Amino acid sequence: MHADTARQTISRSPLVLEGLVKNFGGVTAVAGVDLEVASREVVGVIGPNGSGKSTLFNLIAGMLPMDEGRVWLDGKEVTGQPAWRIARAGLARTFQIPSLFDNISVHDNLMAAAVESGDWKRAPHRAKETMEMLEISHVADNLASELSGGQQKLLEFGRVCMRDPSVILLDEATAGVHPNIRRIMLEAIRRVRDSGATFLVIEHDMEMVREICDRIVVMDAGQVVAEGSFDEIADNIEVQKAYLGRQV
Amino acid sequence: MVSKLSRSRFSGVLASFVGLVILAVLPGFVDPYSLRIVTGVLMWAGLACAWNIVGGYAGYISFGHSAFFGIGAYVTGILMQRDLGIPFLATLPLGILVAVGVAAAIGGPTMRLRGAYFAIATWAFAEMLMQVAIILDITGGTAGLSLPAYLNEFFFYYTMLVVALLAYLGTWYLLERTRFGFRLKALRDHEPAAEAMGIHTTLVKVQAFALSAGITSLFGSIYAYWVTFIDPRSVMGPEITDQMVVMVLLGGLGTVWGPALGATVLWLINRYIWSELGDTTIYLPILGLIIAMIVLFLPNGLISLLPGGRRGGGLMGRLLRKL
Repeated sequence: MHADTARQTISRSPLVLEGLVKNFGGVTAVAGVDLEVASREVVGVIGPNGSGKSTLFNLIAGMLPMDEGRVWLDGKEVTGQPAWRIARAGLARTFQIPSLFDNISVHDNLMAAAVESGDWKRAPHRAKETMEMLEISHVADNLASELSGGQQKLLEFGRVCMRDPSVILLDEATAGVHPNIRRIMLEAIRRVRDSGATFLVIEHDMEMVREICDRIVVMDAGQVVAEGSFDEIADNIEVQKAYLGRQV
Repeated sequence: MVSKLSRSRFSGVLASFVGLVILAVLPGFVDPYSLRIVTGVLMWAGLACAWNIVGGYAGYISFGHSAFFGIGAYVTGILMQRDLGIPFLATLPLGILVAVGVAAAIGGPTMRLRGAYFAIATWAFAEMLMQVAIILDITGGTAGLSLPAYLNEFFFYYTMLVVALLAYLGTWYLLERTRFGFRLKALRDHEPAAEAMGIHTTLVKVQAFALSAGITSLFGSIYAYWVTFIDPRSVMGPEITDQMVVMVLLGGLGTVWGPALGATVLWLINRYIWSELGDTTIYLPILGLIIAMIVLFLPNGLISLLPGGRRGGGLMGRLLRKL
């Protein structure tokens, strides 16, 4: 009875993680993370450097093999599958350092993102819409390598949008960008969320976390040490310990 | 902006048309020796185009393409022997099939390797295949294999012309106008990001390798019938791949028409040295010097000097960093 209930819950949630573990030699980077993200929810993952956030993303996306644990995407188990198969199942991600296709244009970067998903004939139209949403139409013919750091972040998010995924992992999408780029990014995230996508967001910018995240998960030493709303997390002693190493 | 683009496109179409007309009527205006040189240019342009699919579009440096050239040459050579007597044209698809099959089998494991490991693996494969050709009876071993002579330079000129044109137009369409091209360029520029977009990178790389091998084999078949005598060194020697690589780098890595430009310039230099100095090894240090000059001064190749040539210099650097 209990197992049936659990399965029903899993089938309803776009992203479910169960006991994810990853060791690098003697170091445990992710130590049994459980997490469930509801539809259209934006969950922020915060924590000090080295707490396992990016490794967690790589495990979910299939870019690192996990030692233990299971992952469900839209109710379908994707544990152990290669990255390309997990992507086709509906997961999209950005990287901490923008991973663009440097030697092709901005427009072609967006087109390349659509090759495995959606209606290919409509891809040029969708690329145009995406560039307008992200206000990068004026650099459509520029090589990706010619963009500023902020524009590169926007383009990477644009590639995610082109895929129309159900779950999006954003790894520091607004780190170090101009406030105007940050505003464009925030609006775009809200728009994509409203159209039905679910987000898991690694972010160090607490203002951004406060603005867009419905829930926050705090990681330290590979574990989830706290979970809740922004205000709950801000007052949490475990969180303060994780960040400052002592109680304040 | 629009009229500028249209004008540029019109100039391109006009230049292509004029070029085609010149190529079509050329045999009526040049002596047989010059025609043979131009036939060679067409063959090398086609080979450079084939290598560019893997080296320029997928970003993997193959030093094993001479093996596919040799496969095409030997399939045609063996099948056209008197006891089998298969017509030349019928041998072409068989050569392609064998090369594509071998490339798929080799590509499966080797295209999971990166950088220098892939280059070394393909080089070792080509060397191995050349040694096999040396010891087998069916290939004639080091004594080589003679094919029935067909002494019609016009036939070989037009065959090379048609096949080279088809190779370039097919490559242009496939790599610049279809999903396959986007997949290939994506994995070249950032393989993990390409996978994160759902691209099955290993499969796409093997497809590109097989396509490239098929085209290379086709030119090997035509070459064998053209020169009427082949041996392992002449159709599987490493110089064949070396020339393909240098031609692509010289013309413009990862561009559609750059390899044709590189092949034209390099093959004319090759023939000039040969006619002036005879069969000398001086060509090899010249090849090395050309590579060094391109890396230092012309990372985007000769094509970047033409109007509308590619800007930026990332591809050459990316490829070299992989080694």
